[in-house]
Amino acid sequence: MSEVLTVNNLKLYYFTRKGVVKALDDVSFSLKEGETLGLVGESGCGKTTLGMGLLRMPSPPGKIVDGEIIIDNENIIHLKENELRKRIRWNKISMIFQGAMNSLTPVYNIKKQMLETLLNHREMEEEQALEIIKKYINYVGLSEDVLKRYPHELSGGMKQRVVIATALFLEPKIVIADEPTTALDVVVQAQIINLLKKLKHDLNLSFIFITHDLATEAEVADRIMVMYAGKIAEIGTNDQIYGKQGPSHPYTKGLLGATPKLREKVEELAFIPGTPPDLLNPPTGCRFHERCPVAFDKCILNEPPLKEIEPEHFVACWRCYDE
Amino acid sequence: MMNDEIILSVKNIKKWFPLRRSITEVFKGKKRWVKAVDGVTFNIKKGEIFALIGESGCGKTTTGRLIMKIEELTSGQIIFKGTDTSTLSSSTEIKKYREEVQMVFQDPYASMNPRFRVRDVLYEPLIIHKKTKDSREMEKIARRALEEVKLTPPEEFLDRFPHMLSGGQRQRVATARTLVLSPNLIIADEPVSMIDLSTRAEILHMMKEVQENLNLTYLYITHDLSTARYFCDRIAVMYLGRIVELGTSDEIIENPLHPYTKALIAAVPEPIAGKENIIKDIPIKGEIPSAANIPKGCRFHNRCIYSKPLCYENVDDPELVEDSNGHYVACYRYKEINQEVQNI
Amino acid sequence: MSTDIKSKKAPSRIQMQLADFWKEFKQVKFGIIGLIFLVIFILITIFEHFLIPFPEASTRWRDITYWEDNPRNAPPVWINWFTEKDYTPTTYMNNLEFEEKTISPTMSVSTAILEYDYNYDVPPIDLIYRGRFKGSFTLNIVLERPDGNTINLVNKNFSSPTWKDFRVAISNEAKNAVQSFAKRFQNVSSQTIKVNSTIFSEANKEIITNPVPLKGTYKFNINIIKTSEDTVIEDPKFIFSGAVSGILGTDNAKRDIWSGLIAGTKWALFIGLLTSAISISVGVIYGVVSAYYGGFVDSIMQRIWEIFMNIPLLPVLIVLSAIFKPSIWSLITMMCLFFWVGPVKTVRSMALQIKEETYVEAAKALGASNGRIIFKHMVPILIPYAFASMALNVPSAILYEATVSLLGLGDATIVTWGQILHDAMNGGAVTNGLWWWVVPPGISIALIGMTFAFIGFAMDTILNPKLRTR
Repeated sequence: MSEVLTVNNLKLYYFTRKGVVKALDDVSFSLKEGETLGLVGESGCGKTTLGMGLLRMPSPPGKIVDGEIIIDNENIIHLKENELRKRIRWNKISMIFQGAMNSLTPVYNIKKQMLETLLNHREMEEEQALEIIKKYINYVGLSEDVLKRYPHELSGGMKQRVVIATALFLEPKIVIADEPTTALDVVVQAQIINLLKKLKHDLNLSFIFITHDLATEAEVADRIMVMYAGKIAEIGTNDQIYGKQGPSHPYTKGLLGATPKLREKVEELAFIPGTPPDLLNPPTGCRFHERCPVAFDKCILNEPPLKEIEPEHFVACWRCYDE
Repeated sequence: MMNDEIILSVKNIKKWFPLRRSITEVFKGKKRWVKAVDGVTFNIKKGEIFALIGESGCGKTTTGRLIMKIEELTSGQIIFKGTDTSTLSSSTEIKKYREEVQMVFQDPYASMNPRFRVRDVLYEPLIIHKKTKDSREMEKIARRALEEVKLTPPEEFLDRFPHMLSGGQRQRVATARTLVLSPNLIIADEPVSMIDLSTRAEILHMMKEVQENLNLTYLYITHDLSTARYFCDRIAVMYLGRIVELGTSDEIIENPLHPYTKALIAAVPEPIAGKENIIKDIPIKGEIPSAANIPKGCRFHNRCIYSKPLCYENVDDPELVEDSNGHYVACYRYKEINQEVQNI
Repeated sequence: MSTDIKSKKAPSRIQMQLADFWKEFKQVKFGIIGLIFLVIFILITIFEHFLIPFPEASTRWRDITYWEDNPRNAPPVWINWFTEKDYTPTTYMNNLEFEEKTISPTMSVSTAILEYDYNYDVPPIDLIYRGRFKGSFTLNIVLERPDGNTINLVNKNFSSPTWKDFRVAISNEAKNAVQSFAKRFQNVSSQTIKVNSTIFSEANKEIITNPVPLKGTYKFNINIIKTSEDTVIEDPKFIFSGAVSGILGTDNAKRDIWSGLIAGTKWALFIGLLTSAISISVGVIYGVVSAYYGGFVDSIMQRIWEIFMNIPLLPVLIVLSAIFKPSIWSLITMMCLFFWVGPVKTVRSMALQIKEETYVEAAKALGASNGRIIFKHMVPILIPYAFASMALNVPSAILYEATVSLLGLGDATIVTWGQILHDAMNGGAVTNGLWWWVVPPGISIALIGMTFAFIGFAMDTILNPKLRTR
């Protein structure tokens, strides 16, 4: 399988009045064609920043400081803004934002909003555009009369489906889904996840699925990338992370332990004491060392590099390299 | 840790919100209601942790607010420690009720005035209820509350502002605030849903310890089935303003009787390998109807994959019936459905 | 989490807020400029007494005797830098050294010689000699001109058993003497001569019709012949009432405008700040209460607000001022009665948002009383907005007072910039080109308005994004 997205040493910093927040600090990974890469982490780990960064839309005062983002063999880091808008965004890579409610304008109906987005990115007749929109509305399981409605008339699930259709209708290769199901009820959540799986299969899409919930991630992701404090802690396949063997990185282990499993009767839920570090002044060495149950002196002094410990399984932890 | 003494008894409570009407409807004399809570009955035993579970719009939060007397009942009774709360008229009686029934809110930042220090947040209940004028006495109580929620050393936190605390710490302060008046019943409305996953268990653990140490009773409102199983003794599943199933957590999760509960359980994601390419089977149809337009008959019928005409023709909503010890379900066909499922 | 046992107490809420606020305020240039000006205005108010040559300007603004030594409608002294001709500035000579000479047992003469360097083209309007005395004496002033000529200017007797002021104005007293002097050089039939012009002009054939200034040192011999034994003379002053006078000139009532302007600063600040503080406080509380109670109470309160909002303040002020004798207090009261409407709508919408916040709900769930929720939870959040509002309201109050004064309805016991403008209009300042009378008070009003507008603007810029209630 070829790689559709390669990220090398990406650094994205927020230049705030209080100082420089190193939200993404040397992140490297790749996404293969037709796979769903799950991006998992808690609040402040940088996953949303990464999503926005891949589209080269960091929220101000963020700036990409270094690194490469290679989409379709093209490094988009130095492309001009209107190049990005014309060729890359929505054409090759699109995004489903967190909280569908926020990305739909309340004053226009669905048809107008989708038309506007479509025609912004590609020149075509309105007739033709409408055909495409209808096709994808149906694809996501909605009926065409949704187009006449306004966002407030739709339920959360319906709105999310509209947003998904909008992300897909230019047929990009890569779709970034940022917490697409977090604001939804559990039944709707399951339905949307089913939809995404179907779309991935039918349209051969590559997904980056961002969430903080390890349980949801297990249901969608082929490979999982765990982030902590702006850095990658672990990358592994679904089986490597969730299978019998269990994950390697202590953070992933802790996170998995803290995720409640419905069908298992659990006496004690694990937790990770402490809080994620302040990225204005990240800790020395491994950023997780302050909360890690197995940290030793090397962890405080030196930052562990991301190393492959078995095929497709990468860990950044001094404890894990000898396996 | 519970005996059978019932501390809170909720009897057929309803909360209907009036809806704006068009002119023609006004003339026709038709009234439209959003029936947020539409006939809910349950008991909570002293010392237990009781969960109200459901998706958004099911009425669980409104039920909590009704019990807190932040909202007024449309009909029904709420009986707390043997007294019907609607008979509480004098401000002293109502104030006494508010001392004994406290709430922990969902958003740990929004539930505290950002300009108040932790100290002020904890003193406020004491000041409102005029418990003591002595500031040293107040500080003693505040410290004890902070120790109870494991924010130690207390002096480290007393003078901080909410924005100087993490989400988990804020929720501890919110819990401490409820303890300051030595309540009997605490209603926790999604207390951990806005907290990081890795800290959730810690907060729940703390809440459980507090409950055991002080012999409190909890009403835990949430949409998250998984934490409910871990945390609660009994669960009531709500749908569109009514309870559809009620029982111990283990019973409900391992042996769900109501089709809605079955669908909920099927929909919950689990951190298990090998599911990434499987389209999950969720035994439910359509979308949640609006609480202003509740389907006739069993209100779940239009989403239920097992529904038959007897579920909605000429019938009201099914009432809760006891299946086995303490396990109640509100479904006309639950026995047949279970047969069908077992036969598959 | 730190393991310190003795924790450092976080600075008080107010200290932290002020520190944060100051950090951001510093970055807004407007705010700094406004603040600098405000400090200047406040310093003026504090040091008023030392800044002006007429310290009692404020209370004795309408007392003619206080100003009688000034020239009328005189431009400021510094115009000398811009004009070809040099104008004599007003000069006070207070320390005259008198030498006593006893002539006879009952008579003694005190003599002082006043040397005056005259290098100007336009002579002073008047020369005045004044003081206090008891007893009797003869005042004799002889002038020695640089060209050697002498003129016996004054020969006058004064007598009084009790303390009395005496005042001699050369332009009056020396008329005859100067006329005779002038006629020696130019024989023109009875033409009224300008006394001071002649005194200081060259003695030539055109001394009356076309005087040329005689520059040089003039010596005034002031002889005081005490004609009774216990005559005492106190506080003698010799005043050259100049062609130009003061830092900002004088008006038609001879009042030093600079003194009036400085004295008016405190009133401007007082009126502005007091009116805003009261009216904004009332307005904010009104808005919060209206929003909090909602429903019927809110409707009524908003209708009342609309009534007040629509009453035009200026006509009402004018009518009321015309009926009742206006004082600064009644003016302030009336302005407060109408200014409170300003912040109400915005405060109300903010309060409506705050009302929905979870912590307000939590407070209600705890059983907090309405008063407690309003004053402990809601109003404190609006304090930043209130301050910005106050700052922006100050110029309005000052302008209203100025307008009312302009129409002649202000408080007659104080001096305000508006009143100075009023007098200027009535005194024909514009038609007579007395720009120093009109421009400075106008600029001052504009400046103080600008000061508070800048401060308010800066506060707004900082505080507006934070008007979110989280």
